[in-house]
Amino acid sequence: MSTRRAARSGGPDALLPPLSRRSLLAGAGVALAAAVTGCGRSAASAPSGPLHVGAIPDQDPEVLQRLYGTVADAVSAALDLEVEYTPVTDYAAAVSLFRTGDLDLVWFGGLTGVQARLQTPGAEPIAQRDIDQAFTSVFVVNAATGLAPSGELTALAPLRFTYGSETSTSGRLMPAWFLREAGVDPQGFPGGPGFSGSHDATLALVASGSYQAGVLNSQVWRSRSEQGAVDPAVVRYAESPPYHDYHWLLGPQAAERTGVPDLADRLRDLFTGLPPGDPVLELFGAGAFVPARSSHYDRIEEIGRDLGLVS
Amino acid sequence: MTLTADHPTRPTAPPLRRDRRRWAWGLGAAVVVAWSLAGAGLFSGDVLNPGGSAQFGRFAAAALDPAADAAFLGLLARSALVTVAYAAAGTALALLLGAVGAPLVARTTWGRRRAGWLAARGVLAVPRGLHEAVWGLLLVNVLGLDPWVGVLAIGIPYGAGSAKVFADLVDEVPRGAYRALRAAGAGRTAAALYGLLPPAAGGLLSYALYRLECAVRSAVVLGMVGAGGLGYQLALSFASLRWEQVWSAVYALSLLCLVADVAGRALRRRVAAPPASARRDPVLTAAVVGTVVLVGWSCWYLALSPASLVSERTVTQLRHLLGAAWPPATDGDLLRSLGVLAVDTVQMSVVAIAVALLGTVLLAGPAARPAGRSSPGRRVAGALVRGGLLLLRAVPPPVWALVLLFVLLPGVLPGALALGVHTLGVLGRLAAEATEELDPRPRAALTALGARPAGAWLYGVLPRAAGPVLVHALCRWEVAVRDTVLVGLLGAGGLGALLASELATFDWAAGTTVLAAVVVLTWAVDVVSDRARAALR
Repeated sequence: MSTRRAARSGGPDALLPPLSRRSLLAGAGVALAAAVTGCGRSAASAPSGPLHVGAIPDQDPEVLQRLYGTVADAVSAALDLEVEYTPVTDYAAAVSLFRTGDLDLVWFGGLTGVQARLQTPGAEPIAQRDIDQAFTSVFVVNAATGLAPSGELTALAPLRFTYGSETSTSGRLMPAWFLREAGVDPQGFPGGPGFSGSHDATLALVASGSYQAGVLNSQVWRSRSEQGAVDPAVVRYAESPPYHDYHWLLGPQAAERTGVPDLADRLRDLFTGLPPGDPVLELFGAGAFVPARSSHYDRIEEIGRDLGLVS
Repeated sequence: MTLTADHPTRPTAPPLRRDRRRWAWGLGAAVVVAWSLAGAGLFSGDVLNPGGSAQFGRFAAAALDPAADAAFLGLLARSALVTVAYAAAGTALALLLGAVGAPLVARTTWGRRRAGWLAARGVLAVPRGLHEAVWGLLLVNVLGLDPWVGVLAIGIPYGAGSAKVFADLVDEVPRGAYRALRAAGAGRTAAALYGLLPPAAGGLLSYALYRLECAVRSAVVLGMVGAGGLGYQLALSFASLRWEQVWSAVYALSLLCLVADVAGRALRRRVAAPPASARRDPVLTAAVVGTVVLVGWSCWYLALSPASLVSERTVTQLRHLLGAAWPPATDGDLLRSLGVLAVDTVQMSVVAIAVALLGTVLLAGPAARPAGRSSPGRRVAGALVRGGLLLLRAVPPPVWALVLLFVLLPGVLPGALALGVHTLGVLGRLAAEATEELDPRPRAALTALGARPAGAWLYGVLPRAAGPVLVHALCRWEVAVRDTVLVGLLGAGGLGALLASELATFDWAAGTTVLAAVVVLTWAVDVVSDRARAALR
């Protein structure tokens, strides 16, 4: 093929069409350069403007993320602010975006919230759900293991075991902590623990028997049990003691950026004042929002350092 | 030692004597595959988990019943636009970087200065050794939500890959025209432009189009770390295991890949056999104009602004990241685990390539479009196999890893197989193309002499297709090493899993060390596969 092409390009000049190869290429290059330089709509990082909201929900993320208008509209209407919702699926990316100031208000888990606050001095917890004050994790086992429900976590040690996402508070951090408290090495399961990536994946993997035991967020467990969506092969084995989990975290630059000096207070009032049955509460599976404080998460920070998940 | 690219190559005439080196390489490969399979636990106990077939069945059954409500399809259509924009802008940047970088790493430039050439190649190993998803995560820390993140995450690693491939293509072009121009007094640049570029253009174009299809798939992986588009929708539905929605997204992605593939094939054919008239080919002109419009639209749609690349904030964030990442962590525990995990990673990638190669040998024949006429049944079978391969590569590796883990016990194997079936999708297509480009006469002669189809394929096609297909497989090996970062988190994950966990806990110093190990491993695999390819020629 190449030789024929070479012959073609080396053909007699008289046969060349008026538009030479050189002018075609040059034209294309100029058009491209114009497109690249000319199209930089002033979108890039305007210093003042809308409130950037992001969330990485744990349960049914596709529903919440695709209905993000609900959250954005509620905030926008209540505070008379322009609100932009930013889709993120990765916790590490969300923490980084919070640090760089691209996200102002983020729905973080307990551990990721601690990571974000440590990297972003001045960040402030706004509100958590009623259920987040005493959140729990549920340990599940495959029925074939023959284990009867009990509070004894040591029986899990010889099983193939999976956590959820690596930096999940309810699917990794707190369960690992309670396992260690019970005398089980949280990394010592046969073949090493797995990280399924999500609570629903943990359920499916334990149902399949590839992993004989696992741990997930109790909210997801309850919701799936009520829907009848839990495979009968999955048995609830134990529930962890309570701890603080999810919360809305506000970045330090948000008040200045949006021009609302008391933004944190107004957001707190907005969330805690949502009437029962409000669509936002429905979306988050909560009865109400309550104020959240940094001190609620001191224990999580300590445990995170202890397990090497906070550096 | 010459180098080949992962682009469709024309086979050279087979040597008439047996090459000892090939025997050595073949034997070595067999030993490495056996060692990797043993490491994956294939010879030591159970690997299957039949209890999970119901879970796997749910995933498979959803393929026939994808989510098709209007709202979701509308969402997918809008997301597809984002994916196309990232893929087109990213590929354009990659080809630009490749064109600029190729002269810097071509043997033609360095001549006899071998050390300089090796150093230039070594520099290229750094951007190439990191996966697009890792680039994405790193760039998010510097550029925040800027659309450049997605474009650069595709453009930088692909650009380095393109530079290498372009350089190899240019190096392999016959030297006659170039030498004649030099002898006639032309400068090096002019001689390269007029003596080397035109004959290499076909191969360059072919590779560029192949890259575009890869970029669509990469844009999906990037969507999974937050760049939006189809990958974002896929990741959301995957997190709660809505398989019907996952399949819809996979079909949408397949459609994009198919369009890129068909357009690429049509263009390649046009370049290989231009119409007889000496006028400029309107199809090629339209393709060039269309490409320019597409890239221009992508830049506009994503609102790319060159200013944000050099803004003050970018510089501050870059300084912050470098400060946190340097010096790399060097504690003994980390270094020891790096060694163990590097072995896992190599075993995983070897099993993946072995599986993909086995599947390719079985499927490349049916997947290739037969020359001349064929029965309708054969054509339908061919289309089905090609469609199956398209789906294999359109389902992202993390999804494969989870559903394979339903039916396999945790360990190296599920991840290796996940990479294997994904690679089979890519390799099968490349092998089918290589088979189509073969001289059809030996097979026709065998058939005319009364050979059965299987025999004609075995003696007329296989010996000549084996070389190019093995070359492609060796090229994909390096990609598989990098891709382990995507499947690492379940079971034994090798270096990829460690990297993911260092990045998730923001231990940048340890992350730097792991990244360095990944780059060194990728480079080592590249060197080995390069030697093997040289022995094949």
